[in-house]
Amino acid sequence: MNFLEQIPISSAKFIITLLYLLLAFWVFRRPKSYILEGTPTKRRWQDLRIWALLLIGIQIALYLIF
Amino acid sequence: MPVYFIDTIIIVFYMGAILVFGLFFRKYVSTTEDFFLAGKMLPWWVISFSIIGTNIGAYDYLGAAGGAFRFGIAQANYEWLGAIPAMIVSALLVIPYFWRNGVYTVPEYLGKRYQESVRTIEAVIYGLFLVALLGIFFWASGLMLHTYLGWPLRLSIMITAVIVGVYTITGGLAAVAVTDVVQLGVMFVGGISVAIIGFWKAGGVKVFFANLASAHPQHLKVFLPLDNPYYPWLGMIFGLGLVLSPAWWCANQSIIQRTLGARSEWDAKAGMLFAAFPKTLVPLLVILPGFFALMFASPSEITNPDQALPWVIKNLLPPGLAGLVFVAFIAALHSSVDSTLNSASTLWTRDIYQRYIRRQASDRHYLFVGRMVTGGFVVFGVLFAPMTDKFPGIYVAMQNLLSFFQGPTLATLLLGILWWRSTRWGGFFGLTGGVASAVVMFLFKLNFLYVAWWSFVASGLINVIVSRLTPPEKPEKLRGLVYGFIERDKRAQEILKHKAEG
Repeated sequence: MNFLEQIPISSAKFIITLLYLLLAFWVFRRPKSYILEGTPTKRRWQDLRIWALLLIGIQIALYLIF
Repeated sequence: MPVYFIDTIIIVFYMGAILVFGLFFRKYVSTTEDFFLAGKMLPWWVISFSIIGTNIGAYDYLGAAGGAFRFGIAQANYEWLGAIPAMIVSALLVIPYFWRNGVYTVPEYLGKRYQESVRTIEAVIYGLFLVALLGIFFWASGLMLHTYLGWPLRLSIMITAVIVGVYTITGGLAAVAVTDVVQLGVMFVGGISVAIIGFWKAGGVKVFFANLASAHPQHLKVFLPLDNPYYPWLGMIFGLGLVLSPAWWCANQSIIQRTLGARSEWDAKAGMLFAAFPKTLVPLLVILPGFFALMFASPSEITNPDQALPWVIKNLLPPGLAGLVFVAFIAALHSSVDSTLNSASTLWTRDIYQRYIRRQASDRHYLFVGRMVTGGFVVFGVLFAPMTDKFPGIYVAMQNLLSFFQGPTLATLLLGILWWRSTRWGGFFGLTGGVASAVVMFLFKLNFLYVAWWSFVASGLINVIVSRLTPPEKPEKLRGLVYGFIERDKRAQEILKHKAEG
């Protein structure tokens, strides 16, 4: 594990932000029909991609603050 | 710790009210689907709050406050990195496949996707773990009532068993889920009350954090160096974030079960996804008390970090509010006990009894068995509770056993959903080989976060290699079980073409 100890701790924030951005991209690419499957009304607030992107935004903010 | 009359009244009122409220749902149970899946009628918001109620246990309060006292906000990784991404993946990738296939348990899906031996291995391991947890929960609950109110220990355990057992046996998942919502409300009221009192005593939020930053700057760093024995940042990201957390949120029966009881696929997905919002706020409940103890207590007053929260309750809270926070503890325990009972009963009834003991019985028979199994587990939990104190190694052994399965279970589940070429033998050898690799790494004393990551990798590799060496599964077996398989399914494509042509 010695070589790993050379990695600066500051790269943790970079890695976590990158992983969250990759997750956001994956979420964004989900088809709308798949996301809204099972709801008869299909209103804008029911688009779960928006919920997920909001969550990811909050997470990135928290990890950048702390 | 002094107990005021108002505190006792609040505690007794809560326990009576939750029993009556839970019993209300018995009239809605007449089939096994009603009992195990709440008749598939749960709306998304009940699922959300029930998931978080189940997820937060009394141990989380004590352990997380102690962790925050010792290591700071790095403890919040268990609520953020260790939950939110996995909840998003669970909601938008995994849960739709469980819900569409109408399964009652996670092992049932694995059995359909791979083979019955994979289902049985998973059901037995998770079933044993949940049953062992019951004894620990009952003991903790009894100990809390005994310590705080002075009630006899045996009587305290019995009271918890009767309250939770009665509404879980009669009302099934519906009673469990709806009482979880109430219990989560109690937890948040208790936790937010502690936060308000703590900040008020400090002179405000800004003043408190400024003082904390100057006295303990390391406590406001979310990532800790690699030489930290508990929270090395690389282990947190790869072990916790990419393996342990997804394994928990995608494959834990007590978490997943309420989404299987959703009234629609959208409610199942939305239930899990919305739960991530209160989950983001959980550090307010469990981390802040640790910070308050760190800032307000003198070093000689807290020798063990787990004393942080009891110190806050004893020294910061006025009469009445202390009782409310204690009720929040009890609520956290009850919501974990009822979910564990219901899920353990589902696993043993559906995956073991119905599969190996009596296959072709009436639905009424399985409902009766489900209730009997739940009652049996209540009795077992009560009898087993003192053992968990005499032999603490039991819990550690069960936790180790489960941790060996977390990475391999996740690899098996994800490959099963995402890769049509993964075969029954790939699943079987991937799971068992991954567990074997975890045991070897454990014997070499590798940090459990790294064990989780590397056993996940090993299990995935074995699955891929064995699947490539064995013949692919027939399309009719994979239909509806694998992501994107419809594009490879010639029969499904023909049907779609006919439909398009009118």
